[in-house]
Amino acid sequence: MFVALTDAGDVDETLRAVLIDVLGLPPERVNAFNDKSPLFGALPEFDSMAVAGLLTELEERLGITIEDDEVDADMLENYGALLTFAKAKALR
Amino acid sequence: MTAVGDLGYDRYSTRNCDEWLMRIGAPEGRPLLFLAPLFEEMNRTRALLAATMRALAPRGYCCWLPDLPGTGESERALDDIGWDDWRDAARDAAAAVAVKAGRSPAIASLRGGALLDDAAEAACRWRFAPADGASLSRDLLRASLVAPHQRAAGLDLAGYRLSEALLDALAKAIPAPLEPLRVVRLASDRGDADAKLDGPALWRRSEPASSPALAAALAEDFSAWIEQCDAS
Repeated sequence: MFVALTDAGDVDETLRAVLIDVLGLPPERVNAFNDKSPLFGALPEFDSMAVAGLLTELEERLGITIEDDEVDADMLENYGALLTFAKAKALR
Repeated sequence: MTAVGDLGYDRYSTRNCDEWLMRIGAPEGRPLLFLAPLFEEMNRTRALLAATMRALAPRGYCCWLPDLPGTGESERALDDIGWDDWRDAARDAAAAVAVKAGRSPAIASLRGGALLDDAAEAACRWRFAPADGASLSRDLLRASLVAPHQRAAGLDLAGYRLSEALLDALAKAIPAPLEPLRVVRLASDRGDADAKLDGPALWRRSEPASSPALAAALAEDFSAWIEQCDAS
């Protein structure tokens, strides 16, 4: 049902779109995120409900399954860590 | 029945209980039934749904939105509700609308609503961002930080008290393959679709928001699909 993603740029684009939707942040702000941009603990919008929404929406849009034991604070610490995780899941 | 202009409220009967139907549009219009997303997503998309219905009403459509048992203004408790109650409610709401209008409605379902639209008799079906039940149930469990093995009878998940039976049936539900059917998704969604529209995934916003542009685009796409269905 999903078009397989082969391009890391597509994962980046999808991740930013999901963050915009889940956190309700202006697109220009999320599009300016770099690898070092802090996420969990640095954005008031990023609470545990938002983490749940982020994971579910990434699963739906990337056609992946994320197990609870794969989720930890390190993976959510900054944009680069989250993107690395998403790429590892979506591009394998 | 009460009515203010083209807004009205009516009842439909399902499993010996009366539940509410909200109507936007003149009663003599071509009937459309909307099946809303489930749980918190329902609240988050209420404004989008109402805006889409308002955009369709002036085009000669009569839009109906049922409260499912245990949701909205329903007097039944959600933790007494099973999955079949909701499937029967979708069927009974569509049948009630068909009796009022003299013809079967076209059905628009959003997100988890797409898991119910095959229970109802419909002239044609249209789905926006349909979701698998497995994804919705995982989201409920995650949002309440309950691991699946910690589930107890009578679950309280993310503020929703619901039966284990409902959660189990939800987890197995998938949108049924039916014809005629059109599937529309957001441009940022990689899933298969007949069309992709630009707009925000409002069902993810913790603060409910609307998008007039997305509502207009949804109304336009649904309307074109109904015309195509009615012509064939």
